[in-house]
Amino acid sequence: MFRHTALRYTVLVLLASAALFQAFTAEYFGLEILTEILILAMLVLALDIVAGFGGMVSLCHGALMGVGAYTYAMLSTKVGIAPSVAMLGAIALTGAASWVIGAICSRSHGIYFIMATLAFGQMAYSYVFEAPAFGGDDGLGGISRLDLSIIGVDLNDSRSFALFCLAILGAVYGASVLILRSGLGRSLSGVMHNEQRMRALGLTVWRVKADVFGLSGMIAGLAGALAAQHILYISPGLLSWTVSGEALVVVILGGLGTLVGPLVGAAAFVMLKHELSAVTTYWHLVVGVILIAVVMSRANGIFGWCEARWGARIDRRLADATGKHQPKEVMTDA
Amino acid sequence: MLETRNLDKSFGAVHVTRNVSLKLERGERRVILGPNGAGKTTLFNLLVGELTPNSGSVHLAGADVTALPVAKRARCGLSRSYQKNTLFDGLTVEENLGLAAAVHTGNATKLWSDSLVKPEVREIVDEVAEQVNLMPYIHAKVSEISYGVRRQLEVGVALATRPLVLLMDEPTSGVGPEMSKGFHDLLNNLPRDLTMLIIEHDMDLAFDVADTITVLNYGEVVFDGLPDAARGSKLLKEIYLGSWEDA
Repeated sequence: MFRHTALRYTVLVLLASAALFQAFTAEYFGLEILTEILILAMLVLALDIVAGFGGMVSLCHGALMGVGAYTYAMLSTKVGIAPSVAMLGAIALTGAASWVIGAICSRSHGIYFIMATLAFGQMAYSYVFEAPAFGGDDGLGGISRLDLSIIGVDLNDSRSFALFCLAILGAVYGASVLILRSGLGRSLSGVMHNEQRMRALGLTVWRVKADVFGLSGMIAGLAGALAAQHILYISPGLLSWTVSGEALVVVILGGLGTLVGPLVGAAAFVMLKHELSAVTTYWHLVVGVILIAVVMSRANGIFGWCEARWGARIDRRLADATGKHQPKEVMTDA
Repeated sequence: MLETRNLDKSFGAVHVTRNVSLKLERGERRVILGPNGAGKTTLFNLLVGELTPNSGSVHLAGADVTALPVAKRARCGLSRSYQKNTLFDGLTVEENLGLAAAVHTGNATKLWSDSLVKPEVREIVDEVAEQVNLMPYIHAKVSEISYGVRRQLEVGVALATRPLVLLMDEPTSGVGPEMSKGFHDLLNNLPRDLTMLIIEHDMDLAFDVADTITVLNYGEVVFDGLPDAARGSKLLKEIYLGSWEDA
């Protein structure tokens, strides 16, 4: 069950402050990196909801982001629908596709679930890669951004677009918290802890998994629509399983099942990528070594390590300061 | 309220449930006795739908539920507790009860509200926590409470679905004599209109709680009657009770 702690609030405030500072002070290249982080953060939040809180490790979230990107691009450039409607269409279609994938894959567990989602992702990738209507391996260009001139915002300006993405990420984070704290989110948590018992209590388990997978897909679709608007060009590579794999790496690097951790992971991953790639073309090796170190340390990612080290201490100090104490652990028989 | 007709189950050549027919009236408390391997837990698994019988049928409140999956049978009013604790270990006692109550009240799949703060869910959580003496531990995580309290919670989670029939698989399994006494009171204080089927090895509890007793041996019903008759049964002494009386 998702809970905010003092440390989580603190890190959220720090991350938001850093993002705002960067958005208002950075030049073009810095703003591009910030936007990249913000869009990746949305994707990994979507993945954390299903993997971290539902035990559904998906290798098709990259493809879902691609579905969102292509739907937005097709609707806005080929069909000629207004970008705002195209964006809603991209979210809805990706959500529907995700629900179907979730409904089918929810019957499997562990490695079989991973393989089933991988298969769906690769099917989408292959189709887009081969289909002339989607531009084949050339991809699609000529994508335009949302028109917010009615409220005096020009999203073609990098700073405005970065701030827009930051606002959307804030909304996505809030929506993720609401999902996890809802009846559906609590049931998902129950399913992850003990699927057999939830079924014995009368819950239709596959339906809960499919519903949450669909909601997570909507977030991935939103990230995809923003990714298309960011680069203004999309290619089938966006649907590749390596994007899903990278998202999973980011979630694990940040801290699975914490919501805040994946945000930290997204920032760390993109910055590492840009800093290291300037030094060596083998930057993936360094990221790999860091990931192995994180996994071998048995900490739940960078943020999980921080929580284990400082989380309890901060909560205790806060409780001392406010006079609110949690009940002590109960270990005696009745 | 709950009826089985000629229920039969085999695993390959091993015949674990043989032609079992039972009939529980509303409010009846029946204890199932039998040596290890008699097919008691298999019978429970057949009743709740975790196993499919080779033949025979299960009826709940007059309706044939044999073809229904586990979740649908549970929603029809069939709830069970397990011999080994099957709880949500990372969650609190309150959240464990809340999950069950949310399913019962239809709040488990709602997106726009937190099921645990719903009045109808809270009412069940508080009531069940009182019934099974869990109030002192309500905010403790399952991993923080003792084994005996977890056994109480195991029963509590099953109760929080407000079942018509409650199946309890050795509720006192692994608990000490003091705790076991507490379970006598706990079970005796549950609402009288709740139909209960209990697998139990604790003879004191069995004869204290039971209205009727059924004895299984090699998957077959070998005795079905009142506790007093069970105490005097020669057959039972041979297959089961002998060792208990001699002890």
